[in-house]
Amino acid sequence: MSLIEARALTKRYGAHVTALDALTLDVEPGIIGLVGANGAGKSTFLKILLGLLDPTSGSASVLGLDVTRDGPQIRQFVGYLPEHDSLPPDLSATDFVTHMGRMAGLPAAASRERTAEVLRHVGLYEERYRPIGGYSTGMKQRVKLAQALVHDPKLLLLDEPTNGLDPAGRDEMLDLVKRTGTEFGITTVVASHLLGEIERVCTFLLAIDGGKLLRAAPIASFTERTGTLGVEVEEGGEALAARLSERGLAARFDGHTVLVDVADERPYDIVRDTVVDMGLALIRMEHRRHRLEDLFRQAEDGADDAA
Amino acid sequence: MTQPEPAVGTRQSATGAIYDLGYRGYDGPRLGRGAAVATLFWWSLRAAYGLKRSGRAKIVPWGIAALLLAPAGVSVAVAALAPQAPSPFSYDNFLWNTQILLAIFVAAQAPELVSSDQRNRVLSLYFSHALQRSDYALAKLGALTAAVFGLALAPMLVLFIGRILLAADVVQAFGDEIDRLPEVLLTPLIYAVPLAALSLAIAAYTPRRAYATGAIIAVFIVGAAIAGIMGNSLRAGPLREASQLINPMVPLDGTRTLLFGGSIPESPVEGIGYPLAAFGLEWLAIAVVGAGVVWWRYRRVAA
Repeated sequence: MSLIEARALTKRYGAHVTALDALTLDVEPGIIGLVGANGAGKSTFLKILLGLLDPTSGSASVLGLDVTRDGPQIRQFVGYLPEHDSLPPDLSATDFVTHMGRMAGLPAAASRERTAEVLRHVGLYEERYRPIGGYSTGMKQRVKLAQALVHDPKLLLLDEPTNGLDPAGRDEMLDLVKRTGTEFGITTVVASHLLGEIERVCTFLLAIDGGKLLRAAPIASFTERTGTLGVEVEEGGEALAARLSERGLAARFDGHTVLVDVADERPYDIVRDTVVDMGLALIRMEHRRHRLEDLFRQAEDGADDAA
Repeated sequence: MTQPEPAVGTRQSATGAIYDLGYRGYDGPRLGRGAAVATLFWWSLRAAYGLKRSGRAKIVPWGIAALLLAPAGVSVAVAALAPQAPSPFSYDNFLWNTQILLAIFVAAQAPELVSSDQRNRVLSLYFSHALQRSDYALAKLGALTAAVFGLALAPMLVLFIGRILLAADVVQAFGDEIDRLPEVLLTPLIYAVPLAALSLAIAAYTPRRAYATGAIIAVFIVGAAIAGIMGNSLRAGPLREASQLINPMVPLDGTRTLLFGGSIPESPVEGIGYPLAAFGLEWLAIAVVGAGVVWWRYRRVAA
C-alpha cells in the first residue's frame, strides 16, 4: 500500500480555475519533493490530503484512509507546515507547541515532553519561553516545523518550508528537513518551487504543472536528464558552439555562454579538447543549476518524443 | 548478540558515557477528536479569562469580574450592617442591572477567542489536526458560554451565600434559600447562552479584533438605545411594544421571568405586555441563529 494515493484527483475553484486536473500518483516512503511553479497546484494537493479542502472529483487516500471521510483520523498521524504565517504572536513556542500536540490527541504530560524534545530538535532553546511575536522568520519556521512534529507523525507535509528565509536560513532549514526525514524515518513531502532545494534534500521527485503530474521519478534520473554545462570563452563562442555540434554534442550559444547538454562524462573532454584545438581563452566551465523551466522543457520534449 | 550495541553517538570516557538517544518516537495513546475538542474548549475558556496570558490580557476579564463582584459584596455588607435597609440587589435584578458589564466582556473576549486565530491564520493548524471544522465552532461557543456563565454566576453566589450566612438562623436560612438555587444557577446561563452566540457570530466574521469589539458593542448599545428611544417617543401601541424586542437584553430578562417569575421594575418586560413565552422564543432564536451563523462561518472559512 502506498502512503499517499491520488486517483484522478480534480479540484476546481469556480467554473474557470482548475487547480488539480485528474492528478493520479502514488507516494512511497522517503523524502519526496513536490515541485511546480507557483499556482501549479502544490498547496491545493497538500490541503486535500489533509482534508482541509474537498476534491471536486476523484479520490485520494493517506495511510490507507480516505481523505474526505476520515479526515480527523488521518490528521492524527500527519504533520503539516503551511506556507503562510500561522502562529499566534502572544504565546510562547512552548505553550503553543504543547497546545498543538494536545490538539493532535496527545495526553497533556506526553505533549509537554514531546514539545521539549522537538523544540530542541529544531534548535530553539532559551527563546522558546518568549512570545513568538518577537521571533525572527527563521525561528518562526522552526516553530512551525516543531508543531508539525510534536505528535510524531507518520507523514510530514511541508509547504514551502524555506519561505521568506535568507540563504543561511534556507540552508539550516533544509538540513533540518533532511535530518528529520532520514533520522526520524518520517516520510516527508516537501512542496517547493525551487528545484535546487528539492534536489538537496529529496530522494524522489514529483513534478506537477497546471494541476497535472509531469514526472515522478527518483531524483537521480532528473539530474541526468537536465544537466547543462555552461562554457564561457573570451570570444568565439558562436564558432565553438558550431564546432561542438559538429562533434556530436547538443551545443548552442545564447550570446554570452555556450550551453552544452551533458548526459555522461564524455562532453567534458570534448569541450576541453575543442577549446584547446581552436586556441580559445576559456574563462569558466560550470555545471548549471537546474531551473524548473529546464525540467518542464525536458518533460515536454519527452512527451513530444513519445507522441 | 552478547554485547549490546552502543546507542547512537555514545562517547565513552573514564568517568562514564554520554548518551545521545537521538529521536524517539511516540507510541503512547492518541486520544482523537473528542480530546482535541475538549482541549480547545479549556484552552479557549482560559483565554477568555486571560489565564496563562500576559498581564494585559487579564485587565478586561478580571476588571469586569471585580466590577461584578463589588456590588454583590457591598449588597451583602449593607445587609450585614443594616439589616433593615432594603437590599438594592436580588437574584431577579442583579444581572439585568449589571448587563453592560457582561456585554463589554463578550465584546472584548469573543474576538480574543476567534478573531486572532483567523488573522494569524492559526485556523489552518487547527483544521489540520484531529478535529472537524464544526468542532472548532462548538468548542468556541461552549468556551465563551462557560466564561460568561462563570462570570455571571460568581456574584449570584456571593448574594446567595451572603444571605445564608448573615441570617439570624443559618440553618433556617439555608432551607429557605436552597429553594432558589435553581434560579441562582440558571439565570447566569440564561444570560450566557445568547450573549456568547450573538457575539461570536459577529466576531467570527471580523478578523480585525477592534472592529469585532466595536460591532458587538454596537449591537448591544445601539439595540438598547433604539428600543429606549422608540419606547419614549412612540405612542402606546403594538409598534412600541414590538420595538422593545430590538434590545437584545430584553428577551434575557423575559426568559428569566418566564421560568422563575419575579418581574422587576427596571426592565421593560412587564410593560410590554407580551406573553412571556414570546421572550422565550426570541431568546431561543438569538441562541440558535447565533450558533448557526458561527457553525456556518467555520464550515466555509478558508484555512
